[in-house]
Amino acid sequence: MAGLAAEVRIGILAWFGEETARKQWQPLGTTLQRLLPVEKVSLRYFDMVGLEAAVAAGELDFVVTNPGHYVVLEAHHGITRIATQTLEPGQDSEHAVGSAVIVPTERHDLQILEDLRGKRIAATVPDGFSGWQVVWAELKRRGLDPELRDLMPVFSGFPMSQIFDLMERGEADAGILRVCLLEHLIRQGRLPAGRYRVLSPQGASAPCLRSTPTYPGWAFAAASHTPDALARATLVALLSLDSRDSVLRWGVPADYHPVHAMLRELQVAPYEFLREHRLEVQIRRYWPVAAVFVALLAFWFAYTLRVEAIVQRRTRELSAAMAARDALEESVQAHRQQMDHLSRLSILGQLSGTLAHELNQPLATIGNYARSLTRRLQAGKLSDAAVAQAAEEIASQSERAAGILDGIRNFARKRVRRREDCDIALLVDEAVALFLGMMTRGPEVNIVQHLPPERRSVHVDRLQIQQILLNLLKNAFDAHRLAERVGQPIDIELDTEGDRIRVAVRDRGPGLAAEIQEHLFEPFFTTKPDGMGLGLSICKGIVEAHAGQLEATNCTDGPGLRFSFTLPSASP
Amino acid sequence: MTATAPASVIHIIDDEAAFRRSLAFLLESAGWMAVEHESAEAFLGANPLLTPDGGCLVLDIRMPRISGLELQRRLTTAGSAWPIVFITGHGDVDLAVQAMKDGAADFLQKPFKDQQILNAVERAVCLSLIRQEANRRCNQARDQLTRLSPREAEIARYLALGFSNKEIARELSISDNTVHVHRQHIMDKTDTGSAAELACLILRVDPSGLD
Repeated sequence: MAGLAAEVRIGILAWFGEETARKQWQPLGTTLQRLLPVEKVSLRYFDMVGLEAAVAAGELDFVVTNPGHYVVLEAHHGITRIATQTLEPGQDSEHAVGSAVIVPTERHDLQILEDLRGKRIAATVPDGFSGWQVVWAELKRRGLDPELRDLMPVFSGFPMSQIFDLMERGEADAGILRVCLLEHLIRQGRLPAGRYRVLSPQGASAPCLRSTPTYPGWAFAAASHTPDALARATLVALLSLDSRDSVLRWGVPADYHPVHAMLRELQVAPYEFLREHRLEVQIRRYWPVAAVFVALLAFWFAYTLRVEAIVQRRTRELSAAMAARDALEESVQAHRQQMDHLSRLSILGQLSGTLAHELNQPLATIGNYARSLTRRLQAGKLSDAAVAQAAEEIASQSERAAGILDGIRNFARKRVRRREDCDIALLVDEAVALFLGMMTRGPEVNIVQHLPPERRSVHVDRLQIQQILLNLLKNAFDAHRLAERVGQPIDIELDTEGDRIRVAVRDRGPGLAAEIQEHLFEPFFTTKPDGMGLGLSICKGIVEAHAGQLEATNCTDGPGLRFSFTLPSASP
Repeated sequence: MTATAPASVIHIIDDEAAFRRSLAFLLESAGWMAVEHESAEAFLGANPLLTPDGGCLVLDIRMPRISGLELQRRLTTAGSAWPIVFITGHGDVDLAVQAMKDGAADFLQKPFKDQQILNAVERAVCLSLIRQEANRRCNQARDQLTRLSPREAEIARYLALGFSNKEIARELSISDNTVHVHRQHIMDKTDTGSAAELACLILRVDPSGLD
């Protein structure tokens, strides 16, 4: 075995102090010294911290330690197990380590682990594997978390026999022993049988009772720098041992995953970082997740951009379509307004004869006064009173002319349709004033008003309604002329009808023949030589736009025709 | 203002108050005496008489209830001598023609110049004076003729138609001398000097009196 080191250094975890350990492990040293072709096999004893420090310093070739500690050293320093200890003869090395929770036999209130809620439990040290962690994990699985103060651990330190002292002194209700220690002590006669009882006993068929699952036994591990040849030689030596002494019972290296799982669950070394929540730790730990997340984010971003691009394109197409539709609508609207405007101009045109006359009236009056003043001045008989009278009349006549022009201009102006709340009675008054203003000698117009004051408000386009009223008044007047009854009055009636307002214009003309009535509201239908036949059809359109119906009926109480329509009331 | 007499009265009948007042103001500026009436009824109610100093009516052709034309008809029927100047609005030419046929003195279409209305009024007042004169002479002639006995009136008609005494005597189967005496009486009673003057007198009373 040339090439092997002169000295093989084996570090051993000493639970019960160096002395006890030396006594316990000496046979292993002797045996290996015999089996291995090296000059010297030296056993060194450490506590956990010391052992780890020695491993870190590269002072050891092999390490013998408990499963929990092995997992830590494996994780931190890359040591590799080559064999696992079997505690009892015939025991499977995979299930070598476990713990038994014992209570004094007379404590009948404590039967299973769950009964320990609120109690004190004696353990060796917080990082002891079978002395604490194995039970801790089992308690946690059963819903008792010492960290949540479900029960209180009391740590005795080593040796494990101090557990009994704590229980005897009444400082703990229960104690934790590694599996088989109880049975071992009884066999040696150091403890009376039946003095203690195991809680939640498992493994009735196994050599010893325990309260927890079992874990692999102690590990015999090679340090990372240990030559393969030495490791192999050592493994062969270990597997070839066959002894009643537990320190000499070694089997194939066990799977330590259950240990990892348990320690991760407890978030203790080597998984203590699970308790750290610092960002950098999280990032270090989760960077693959973060990378996937970032990748997903990037993908999502790219996807969003693409979708956005598609949406924008579709939106452009859609808005182009909508713009086209709006333009069409606008042109229809403009057309309609043009029609309105034309129809108003047409009414003005039909009334223009009398309109011109009506404007002439104030102008002629003004002219008369002006000429008169000149004459009086020339004749040298101009009095102050005459000047005052003339000036007064001229002023009022010019206002009258302006008023007439204003009314016409407002009416004839092109405008956007607009609905507003207005007083129907005022609206009718204005229309009648405008109508009479355009007539030299208009007929008498009676306004018969049945509306309570609070119902007078309508929601309409006032110019359109004026347009209807002017049309109907002119029709009525024309009917009177046709029947040579020019002196007859025209009636306008206002009344409520449900939640709407009914407006009716009644003449005392000849009425309508049935065949004419049929076509009355059709565009370009007219009975008048100078008519365009648009007035009533446009009026009908306006009334329908106000959700009403324009009707013409012959009067039953005498000659004449009655046009009527309804308008929407203003919402209160 | 040559023909204007201060006592000539112009009646303005128009329902359009402002215009009526301005017209009155204008006529007064020209020295006329203007009286306003707001309707035909108001004028008929006042029933002013045409004085020897003359005058006229300025009448709006379109008025509510009794129109200008209707008032003209009623005045004609009543034998009124008031000359009428019609004022018409735009498009009332047909009515104006009718009014002229019915004897209106003049018609003016609005708008008119001040001089036009003043001229029209002046002519109408003249006409009224002429009519007054004609009336007066007609009445006078009627007075003169009513003094004649029926026989004398009959003989006067023949004389006016240019019949000689002999022809009349033969026509009436009376003597020449009797005709001569009647003729003498007729000339005396009617204060005329010739058969031609007599004819004028008869026609003045009745233009168709010699048909």
